[in-house]
Amino acid sequence: MRDLKHLIFFDDLLQEANNELVRQAKKEGLRALGYTCYFMPEVLLDLPGCFSVRLRAPRCTSPDVATYYMSGRTCHYGRSLLERALEGGYNFLDAQMATETCTVTCRFQEHLQIMPIIENPDFFCEFTDVPFKKSENGREHYAKQLQAHVLDKLSEKFGIDTSDEAILKAIEQHNEVCRLVTEIGSYRKLDNPTITGHEFSTIMLVSLVCPKHLILPYLRETAEEMKKREPDKKPNWRVKVMVTGSENDDPGFIELIESCGALVVADRFCYGSLPGREEIEVKEGERPLEAVVRHYLDTGQCPRYMEQHEIRGRKQYLAELAKEYKVDGIIVESNKFCEYWSYERVANSLILPRDFNIPVCSIEKEYINTSVGQLRTRFQAFVESIELKKIQEGA
Amino acid sequence: MKKKLKKVLKDFWYGKPHGERRLGDLYIGNTGLYKHREWRGVKDTFYYFNKIWLYNYGGILMDIMRFGGPIIAVKGLLRYRWFGQTYLTALHWFDRGLEGMRGEVLRASAWHYRAMTCETIRQFMHMFRADTRLHGGKKNKWYYKTIMHDETVCGSVFYGYRDRMENIAMQLVPYFVTCHVNNHTVLHYIDAVQSIGLPGDPCPMCQAEAGLLVLDDVPDYSPVMITSNEACDASVATSVLHDWFLNKPLISMTQPMRFNDPLVHEYTMNEIKEAWKFIEEQMGEKPDFDVYVEYTEKYNELTKFEHEKWDVAANTPYYPINGVAQALYRIYYSQVGYREIWAKTDAKVKKILNKCVEQKINTFPMTRHRVLAWSCAPLYFSNWCTWAYNCWGLNVIMNMDSLMFDIVLRTDNEEDALFDLARYHEMAPMRRMAVGGHEHIFEIWENLERFNCDMVMMYDQLQCKGMQGIVGLFEDEFRERNIHAIWMPHALPDKRTVSRAEIRSIINDYMFTVMREEPLDPSLLDFDDIMSW
Amino acid sequence: MKFKKTLLKILGALALTYVGLFLVFFFDLDGKALFYFVEPMLDKHYSKLKRRDMLKQPYGMEDFPEYSYTEENRDIE
Repeated sequence: MRDLKHLIFFDDLLQEANNELVRQAKKEGLRALGYTCYFMPEVLLDLPGCFSVRLRAPRCTSPDVATYYMSGRTCHYGRSLLERALEGGYNFLDAQMATETCTVTCRFQEHLQIMPIIENPDFFCEFTDVPFKKSENGREHYAKQLQAHVLDKLSEKFGIDTSDEAILKAIEQHNEVCRLVTEIGSYRKLDNPTITGHEFSTIMLVSLVCPKHLILPYLRETAEEMKKREPDKKPNWRVKVMVTGSENDDPGFIELIESCGALVVADRFCYGSLPGREEIEVKEGERPLEAVVRHYLDTGQCPRYMEQHEIRGRKQYLAELAKEYKVDGIIVESNKFCEYWSYERVANSLILPRDFNIPVCSIEKEYINTSVGQLRTRFQAFVESIELKKIQEGA
Repeated sequence: MKKKLKKVLKDFWYGKPHGERRLGDLYIGNTGLYKHREWRGVKDTFYYFNKIWLYNYGGILMDIMRFGGPIIAVKGLLRYRWFGQTYLTALHWFDRGLEGMRGEVLRASAWHYRAMTCETIRQFMHMFRADTRLHGGKKNKWYYKTIMHDETVCGSVFYGYRDRMENIAMQLVPYFVTCHVNNHTVLHYIDAVQSIGLPGDPCPMCQAEAGLLVLDDVPDYSPVMITSNEACDASVATSVLHDWFLNKPLISMTQPMRFNDPLVHEYTMNEIKEAWKFIEEQMGEKPDFDVYVEYTEKYNELTKFEHEKWDVAANTPYYPINGVAQALYRIYYSQVGYREIWAKTDAKVKKILNKCVEQKINTFPMTRHRVLAWSCAPLYFSNWCTWAYNCWGLNVIMNMDSLMFDIVLRTDNEEDALFDLARYHEMAPMRRMAVGGHEHIFEIWENLERFNCDMVMMYDQLQCKGMQGIVGLFEDEFRERNIHAIWMPHALPDKRTVSRAEIRSIINDYMFTVMREEPLDPSLLDFDDIMSW
Repeated sequence: MKFKKTLLKILGALALTYVGLFLVFFFDLDGKALFYFVEPMLDKHYSKLKRRDMLKQPYGMEDFPEYSYTEENRDIE
């Protein structure tokens, strides 16, 4: 397939948190607001006057100093973030809008609170409590929390306009990003997709880590390009897979899977687009904050949700996605030391093949995978097993 | 010769002084069994035999008779590993916790063990009484009147139902208590859940809880299940397997993480209301506020006595409860909620406490260091405090988990009562300190002062992400504040990761090399107890 | 006389029982019996017990409704 025009640029943007577009936005006088979790609505951090940066720690393979602070028995992702912060990689941040949604990222963010790591006198780290249910009680609680710990704090500290009009404006911009990314992602549903998982992952990530107003022109151009993109006459993939699981912000991981013959057509993981790039709908008579609350709670598929129908519903959601994206199998990954996904992965690995007849490859990985040999073997074996299954079913 | 005889007679009558006891010589190989039980002098040995050993064996039989009878107990014993493999060895649990104890400490600490034994029997006998598996699949009246809930849902939530219904935690007796009494049992459950694909690193408490279900070793005694997100990520995550394997109506009564934020309390109150609403829908019963008040006020008396005990422990050397009895009893009664046995025990202990204070009895005369134990304790070695006192004179005055649930609950009106109940539930074990902001886990410094402790035993639960995520800051603070802190690595219920011998070795190393002290009882320095219960 | 003899016999038996129990206590015979005989026997018994294969437990997507409560219906009347 013809290379996408901006892919190399996007790849460059992902090499560090303080990338070219972030620096440009800072020069424009905008406040950089860091966050880690989907439950911190990025749209509220993209209000006029500020921009959201979902934190990554690319190429962080040995978080040595962070390991002193957080031991070697915590998620590599959380430790890598701390390591990058200690290296000065996040000194551009004006605030960290934190959530206590998973223990390790919470501890990372507490280190930002306690230690003078971010060299910015204006820097603050504020925590928001997030409900475990999509109930009315959960929505009311979430709304109160976001108002007090995000909107009021931004207004108080940086004079950010947090009025309904400002939020509506941010929603409009956010929705355009979502439309474009969803449109680009929809080409994965084709029988012969015109975009690889690696390419899409790169595009999705830049939409998370770059100021929206600066990445939008590139996304628009990429969406236009995609309309004319022709697939390879002979596809270089053998099966189509969905990847689901814990935090993954490494396009290299997707590339590794695809190098084994499995095209990644759906990304149902933390930092992925399913969910993640649905447009926010503001209903009639609804305040924008209420719409944001409803949106982020309702779209979330995090294993943090504890309602019984939600727990089961997550498997149903995967099965529906698998049908929609015509996947041949699902790779369930969890980061080592991720407690949520350790259990979720067990359930997915057993229920999906048994009840939905979907082949599953269940793997544990590191945040940045250095020993790829083992993973490669697993993925290759999975691809072959799917092919065998197809032959047997065909026969 | 005469002098020798005098010494022998004195030792026989009063028991050997601390430094001469050589308690380690009593163990048989690596079993933890005794060649013979301690001779504590005539008075204390016969007290132990009559009022602890015989009394508790008798008490166990009496409790089984009054809580359901021998037939259902035998059925349960033959069906459930956690019962048969663990609870028959209960008296050895007493032995381990009370090694070396004499006088008022022996008496007061043993009453705590008795109370926990009685309550454990009450719970499992009720489980068996309601259990469909022991009644040919039939759901009897007990089944329909029992609420099953996660062990981290505190019993006080169900006070309003006490006049008509029972609530029993699913994992407290089958898992939590077993780890202390016989740590062999839990290993089966951990291995079972890992055999279905769970990695080895999540919190082993939650692993074992899930493993109980994997091995189909949980009685079916209720039509519902109430789970919680207490204490942490793993507790949330385990509900995925709870839901699947229990396959019954399930509601989660979730608590906010940032529990000191005043904005969160309404959320908690509503969660409690919704759990009650769920019970009403599923079981046709509503909580009665008057009944709630009755039990809450009784429970408040326990809390007030607890504060008195803390006051004595913090400010005097007359506190007659050893570290393990203090820790286990506190977490047990506060998690379960008011039961008559707790009030009876407190009445007995109060008499002993008052006697010690009035007569100025130095209950731990060999104390060299007053220790504050912080973070999650090793369940398979909860009696490490007893060993530490006997070997090194380390007296564990207080521990982190004892400091949770520290609130006297209002009962004057429903709104205030519910508010306080919500606050109470937010301040549950482990999470009270470990989540909701780093300021909570760093309450260690004010508690060191409050309890006049000069040393910290820093429990280092290797699989607790919350605590592992902040170890470096603790190290920095210990150094800066010049505090003696011993890091005790462990894996909560799983003795295979860090054995008890390794834990002792770590403490020994610190005491020798840093504190430059000699042991009070050298026979306790190094012995193998890998097969011990 | 007969009563006195019977009483003495009973007291004697009780005394012997007490001494016997004390010996069991002092030499940890209860612990040894449990450790060497009872626990291994029960362990074998539990290992042989037929149990349900929990991985066959159903997982119906529609089996349980949404337990949804609002301000209107959450309170207990």
